[in-house]
Amino acid sequence: MNTSFPETAVAVRRTLFIGGSTLLTATGFALLLHSYSGQPVFWTDYIVLALFPLLFGQIAIGFLLALFGFCDWLRGGDPFHLMRQPWREREDSVPLAATAIVIPVFNEEVQRVSQGIENMWNSLKKTGQMEHFDFYLCSDSNEPDHWIEEECAWLHLCQKLDAFGKIFYRKRRHPINSKSGNVADFCRRWGKRYRYMILLDADSVMSGPTMVRLVRAMEANPEVGILQTQPAMVLGQSPFRRLLQFSNAVYGRIFSQGCSFVQRSSGSYWGHNAVIRIAPFIEHCDLPMLPVPNPSRRHVLSHDTVEAALMQRAGYEVWVAYDEPGTYEEGPPNMSDMLKRDRRWCAGNLQHFWFLFARGIEMGNRLQIWIGLMAYLCSPIWLVFLVAGSIGAYDRARFLAFSAGPEDLGAVQHPEAPFLFIMTMLLLFLPRLLGIASALPRTKQFGGFFRLLASSLVETFFSILIAPVLMLFHTLFVLQGIFGWQTKWTTQNRADTSLSIFHCLKLYGWQSGLGIAGQLLAWFYLGFNSCWLTPILVAWMLAPLSAWMTSSRGLGEKLRAWGLFVIPEESQPPAELDGLVAQNDEEAQPAAPLWPQALLSPYVQAVHLSMVRQRSSPRNGAKPASSLANLRERLVQQGAEALEQKEILRLLWDAETVFWLHEELWSRPNTRLHSSWKPLQSESGKNALLRHYMIAE
Amino acid sequence: MELYLASMNTSSDKTTDNEQAAWNQAHDRLRDFLNAFALGDHAQVSRLTLKLLDQAREQHRQDPSRDPVSLAMAQAQKLVQEWFAANLEMRDQAPSELLASGCVALFLSRAFRSAPERFLTAPLPENLKESMHQTLLVTGPDLKISSMTPRHLDYGPMLDLARRTWHRWNPREIVIALIFWAGVYFVFYWWLSEAL
Repeated sequence: MNTSFPETAVAVRRTLFIGGSTLLTATGFALLLHSYSGQPVFWTDYIVLALFPLLFGQIAIGFLLALFGFCDWLRGGDPFHLMRQPWREREDSVPLAATAIVIPVFNEEVQRVSQGIENMWNSLKKTGQMEHFDFYLCSDSNEPDHWIEEECAWLHLCQKLDAFGKIFYRKRRHPINSKSGNVADFCRRWGKRYRYMILLDADSVMSGPTMVRLVRAMEANPEVGILQTQPAMVLGQSPFRRLLQFSNAVYGRIFSQGCSFVQRSSGSYWGHNAVIRIAPFIEHCDLPMLPVPNPSRRHVLSHDTVEAALMQRAGYEVWVAYDEPGTYEEGPPNMSDMLKRDRRWCAGNLQHFWFLFARGIEMGNRLQIWIGLMAYLCSPIWLVFLVAGSIGAYDRARFLAFSAGPEDLGAVQHPEAPFLFIMTMLLLFLPRLLGIASALPRTKQFGGFFRLLASSLVETFFSILIAPVLMLFHTLFVLQGIFGWQTKWTTQNRADTSLSIFHCLKLYGWQSGLGIAGQLLAWFYLGFNSCWLTPILVAWMLAPLSAWMTSSRGLGEKLRAWGLFVIPEESQPPAELDGLVAQNDEEAQPAAPLWPQALLSPYVQAVHLSMVRQRSSPRNGAKPASSLANLRERLVQQGAEALEQKEILRLLWDAETVFWLHEELWSRPNTRLHSSWKPLQSESGKNALLRHYMIAE
Repeated sequence: MELYLASMNTSSDKTTDNEQAAWNQAHDRLRDFLNAFALGDHAQVSRLTLKLLDQAREQHRQDPSRDPVSLAMAQAQKLVQEWFAANLEMRDQAPSELLASGCVALFLSRAFRSAPERFLTAPLPENLKESMHQTLLVTGPDLKISSMTPRHLDYGPMLDLARRTWHRWNPREIVIALIFWAGVYFVFYWWLSEAL
């Protein structure tokens, strides 16, 4: 803890937060209880009563974080925050230390990643501090095309930027433990060479000055273990991504500021766009196995929150630099991709339950874990709450209809119910108003006041439309997590590709059915009282349409032209984002596979051989294993399509096989080669992607 | 007699056609192979193709059993290796290593664009030779191995509870738990019914 900051002030902030959220929840609960007075109570009402505090508590927490963030913003930020402490006055004199910029990738869009690295390199170069930084592209890609393209892109980058010995490429043969395993692998191999690592996602970009400032912040504050930045979501083309980046820009800031206000030095870590002190990370932050009987479920899927907790357990601070500029990421381009990501996150957050009661974890981290858990658990709770509430309403209406005297009918009127409704709406929507208020001094950057307002209204409308859809999916994900269905670390689609209407109908059609059936049942049993369910049921009915519309790149471009959902990074584009916008190539023909060029193109083969030779065991002329020999022959005789991904990877990992195949594929007459090799041979010198990486001057 | 000659001619024509097709295939293969080096000088590709094809024909005359494509490509690959060995002064390396080092050096020195006319025909100029020598792929710096192992974490009361559940799955305990929670529920129900 920083000495200039009184310990009691932390306690006051946390008491205000925990006390405030408890008080708000208790008030809501009291209003709910009172609304039942004088009424018959049915079994479903007990479910409603039991679940209400959990749901209302979440809303209260969100509201308070936004309120604290807004108040903190009004006073110009927390003067005791790490990034506002006295070291900033002598910032330029703080020395830098060896820092690795680590970018773990997994079948990501290679051109986008390499362009990001190039931009960061150029930005860092301008700071004049390049000597302190090295880049590491750490790949877990298991698609042969991605692997080979990464190698070509790495060589291209090194040559273009004259960065040999500064940009490194590492491909893991056995990608165990996903991203956290990839980072741990870097730490074990090269961690000792560096004092810090800046961890980025494949879609992350940071400006040079920001990286330099973060490292200086760490160097000036040796008690800090992790310094997390709040990346701005950028480069959205589809309406969905634009909605996300707009809400992130307008509302995200005050939430982060509020979190930071409460958490201070026990902040969050999101696994990317953060700088980490490597030595304690190596010593204390390797992820423990979960104590579950099934060995395949012991690995911690969502590593960041746990790593932050372990870092703090070791006595180091974790801070969020919520207002640092020059740090960016991209959001999911459409609802389907967000669901894919949420499925992974949900499984990870559910696992965090184990750490909730673990010994030695700080209170701030427990709170973080709880909020993360409830982010997904709230969905099934909300669903059960809705069903129980609807059944309760039906029971009550039927009871009153059959047994009501005039005095019973009067009992239906409760002044507490409207109060509770108003309070809930305030807690839900006031943070949005506070967010808009905090954006008012920068309205020009959002396209002007009216556009900011219009964008906020449309964003709110879409949030109302999307939230019930997410609720159903999150409920499914929670059930999957509880029953142990496997969730893999899948690649996030970062290109703004539109979803087809057939995909939307297939994935979301069941929600439409559920919405129509629910609406009919609600009208039949509840009559006019079903109105409060209508927004949810309509959102379900429109789910395929919402998913389809929000993924449409054409609509996204129109929104942009109308000046809606404009963010500051679009009004004044930073140089670090140059060339990163994904091109609209939805109608482009699928490219030929690239990996066969590792066997045909002399340059690609040479680069690949140089990479794998050191790691394949030489046979010194001995024959390969019969299974490998069979694979080779199958590839030659039956073509590249005949092999499975696993088999291709096995061939590509064996240096002698790669060389043997190179000779055979060029030397054998057509009669002894599969017909698919001929066009690949001809293409070897013409492949557009290869020419981009290898030939372009 | 005429019939006999006619059949002789057909057979001979077929052989010639097959052979011609094989040599055409060898030509195309050589051209594709040399094109894969992305030389800036297209004429050099044509010259090399014809030169290698002639060498292969010469060898084929000595040993007609060998396939033209294999012969031509063997000539090409031998020439490539010899040229790399000469320019990189790496005589003792295995063919695969020589090819990999040579191609990487050729690529990084950009000699295939700046001096394509010398590719496989003449030694490179000294400055290009020098730049080919200097090229070395460093995919990662020297390792400095650290041990990164998880520290013991006491998962607390939930683990004890879970372990007991996993290791002693006792129906009796489940019944007791159900009775207990049913009791709690009824007390809660009674309290709310009476109190509200």
